[in-house]
Amino acid sequence: MKKKWSTSLLCLLMLVSLVATGCNFSGDKGSGSAPGGTAPAADGQQAKKESVINLSFENEIKDLNQFSTSDNISFSVLNNVSEGLYRLDEKHEPQPALAKGVEVSPDGLTYTFTLRDGIKWSNGDPITAADFKFAWLGAMNPQTSKGGYAFILSDYIKGGAEYASGKGSADAVAIDAKDDKTLVVTLNQPTPYFLRLTTFILYFPLNEKFVTEKGADYALKPENMLYAGPYKLTSFDPASGATLVKNENYWDNANVKVEKINLKVIKEQSTALNAYKAGELDRVMLSSADVDTFKNDPEYTTDIEFRTNYIQFNTKGEGTSNLNIRKALQLAYDATILEQVILNNGSKAATGMIPVQMSGVDHKSFRDLQGDLIKADAAKAKEYWEQGVKELGKAPQLKLLVPDDSLSKDLGTFLQSEYKKNLGIDVTVETKTVKARNQQMDEGNYQFGVTGWGADYDDAMTYLDLWANHTPYRGNYENPKYDELIASAKKEVDETKRINMLLEAEKILLAEDAVVSPLFYRGNSFLQKPHVKNLIFHPYGSPVEYKYATVE
Amino acid sequence: MKRYIGMRLVYLLITLFVITTATFFLMKQLPGTPFDEEKLNRLPVEERQLLYASYGLDQPVYVQYVRYLANVVQGDFGTSFTYKNMPVKDIIANRIGPSALIGLQAVVLGLSIGLILGIIAAYRHNSAWDYFTMFIAVLGVSVPNFVLAALLQYYVGLKWGLLPVAFWDSYENSILPSVALSVGVVAIIARFARNEMLEVLQQDYITTAKAKGLTNMAVVMRHAVRNSLIPVVTILGPIVVNLLTGSLVIENIFGVPGIGSLFVDSIKMNDYSTIMGITIFYSAFYVFIMLIVDMLYSVIDPRIRLASGGE
Repeated sequence: MKKKWSTSLLCLLMLVSLVATGCNFSGDKGSGSAPGGTAPAADGQQAKKESVINLSFENEIKDLNQFSTSDNISFSVLNNVSEGLYRLDEKHEPQPALAKGVEVSPDGLTYTFTLRDGIKWSNGDPITAADFKFAWLGAMNPQTSKGGYAFILSDYIKGGAEYASGKGSADAVAIDAKDDKTLVVTLNQPTPYFLRLTTFILYFPLNEKFVTEKGADYALKPENMLYAGPYKLTSFDPASGATLVKNENYWDNANVKVEKINLKVIKEQSTALNAYKAGELDRVMLSSADVDTFKNDPEYTTDIEFRTNYIQFNTKGEGTSNLNIRKALQLAYDATILEQVILNNGSKAATGMIPVQMSGVDHKSFRDLQGDLIKADAAKAKEYWEQGVKELGKAPQLKLLVPDDSLSKDLGTFLQSEYKKNLGIDVTVETKTVKARNQQMDEGNYQFGVTGWGADYDDAMTYLDLWANHTPYRGNYENPKYDELIASAKKEVDETKRINMLLEAEKILLAEDAVVSPLFYRGNSFLQKPHVKNLIFHPYGSPVEYKYATVE
Repeated sequence: MKRYIGMRLVYLLITLFVITTATFFLMKQLPGTPFDEEKLNRLPVEERQLLYASYGLDQPVYVQYVRYLANVVQGDFGTSFTYKNMPVKDIIANRIGPSALIGLQAVVLGLSIGLILGIIAAYRHNSAWDYFTMFIAVLGVSVPNFVLAALLQYYVGLKWGLLPVAFWDSYENSILPSVALSVGVVAIIARFARNEMLEVLQQDYITTAKAKGLTNMAVVMRHAVRNSLIPVVTILGPIVVNLLTGSLVIENIFGVPGIGSLFVDSIKMNDYSTIMGITIFYSAFYVFIMLIVDMLYSVIDPRIRLASGGE
């Protein structure tokens, strides 16, 4: 009897150890974080000697397959293990990378890239122009491109749109690998930011032979990938993280200073903060609640993303179809209160659609050129509201659609109280899951809703283009004058003229037609260990560069 | 016995079929698509249609259902929509390990401590021990495990530096989450064991055993414990299933790459194939554990026969 029990206990223990062996701990022995015993300070010291940086992601690394990937975290990994013709430098400007240089035809349509000499994949194979052609076509091919990101190529490259919609053939796409070193691309329209686009993940090369050989297993394991960037992966698990080590075959290997980057997935902000304090992480994002505690800490920093959160009005919605009603709703809340009280995390109150720091022309930012388009004005808002009510014959019942994350819910409550205070109206806040919110907006089943857009590239077009497609999600907005401006801006070769058109378009969208109402430009607050220097975060596209980082 | 198990396996398949069918059609009622609609909105309509078609989502729901079922029967659970190129089977296999490890450790820890506490409490009924145990039990049930998890992380991990704060690098990383999970188990088991023990100790055969001159210890260990285990085994089934299939909160707090967060995320993202895969996996596991529990009854109490005719 006793024996029986001890036997079953033994079985249980064996089961535990069996499970333990089958649960892939991600740590590689002898390095990285040293759990237990070691004091945090000693841990930091050790990290310095090996030149390691420990960072975290707030979500899983979902997809490292370049054809289909679409999330920022996968982009962060891919941007550092591979490389495009150009790479963004510390000032977010494109610099020659795998390409030695480019020649652009006078009409701005044909780009002839010359590849750098001696560039190699991590297995030693040369990187050729054909590798780019293969990758770009794959990212547009409806069979392989599954991330909804094909437009980042197909919008620009001649023949791309037809190929991506399954109508055209691959041969008709104007990407020509003339020889191993020469890549010629023809564009639909002169695109002044095309070089910036080539720094984006979907423009990186892929080795056809290798990718085809791995088939469905491509990019699922570190050994199933080839690397062209400053780092290569040595371990990768979507849910726990990845380890990057220097790629000795990288052309600029000598300028890569940090030997190893440990990337951990940690979803809980408070946990990440604890890990940072324990010396297990070198940088951590702060939640709004923690900002006040650390605001004066020397390790505290903020950054700004090219992401604008805004209210979308449905121009065919009940009540919101009236221009004066929309204008009233636009002016009746003070976004600076939002910035200081609710967000408190480095985000900035928005006065337009295009985020601060996005490029304009002549080294001036678009925002500086345009100035503030929308500024809170309770008195004016009240006037517009009364005018609108008169036109409609009655005051509309309004329902604001917000997604169900805690920040957006706070945002909804904030807007509700501002509308009550400044317009004296009761707005219902309708909270839905992101998916349900999207569906309702896609079906045009809303009056106004909170949403946002992150830039794919550093140009106002990445935003303003959206309202030229007349979909319900974009408020069923249709203004021939606006469409005309966007279409001509796409064809315009003169940079000043082009930006002027876009400035005009933004003005129409916000100030004249009041189709959207800006809330805030997203920013983030961080703590970063002082020994880690030059970790570059870009406000758009490929999110982060480890290449320039140093550890003192 | 064999026939009984055979029958149960048939029921298991029927149960699974019903659950799969119900989940599939309910899931298709979820608003939205498995894709990032904001990005998708940027695509021309034809390209969107092509994307849906490449996943077979352009077909009517019943066609999708029949196709899915046919694939599942052949052991193909499809690839995830979120982890775009990963087979659902592999994702589940990767993610169940960490969850099962901390779950199993929590069960072993919770069961042993819970039983010991419960038995002592009953044995020393109305003593300080008893009150202490019940205090722990009430605490364990009423304090949410994430509060305890946060405390453990802060003190054991950060302040005292005894164990890693989070992540999943080595075995040490599994200790804190297991402890955090086990407290609830301790509480439940201790209460059940105590109550049942108290009842058993009132039974005539206990008096008889005492009358025979056995020591208190021997009476408890030989006669009382075993008989008080049956209700414990009954609740152990659901507890085991619950813990082994992962806890979203604990996994998130300690950065455990487990299956709990995968399930919740897959629903949020409309990741159809992953939702289905995990649902089938969970239900199969649950029904299977229930079968084991039923079989355990007859081991603990030979008077319980599983099928007419017995073994």
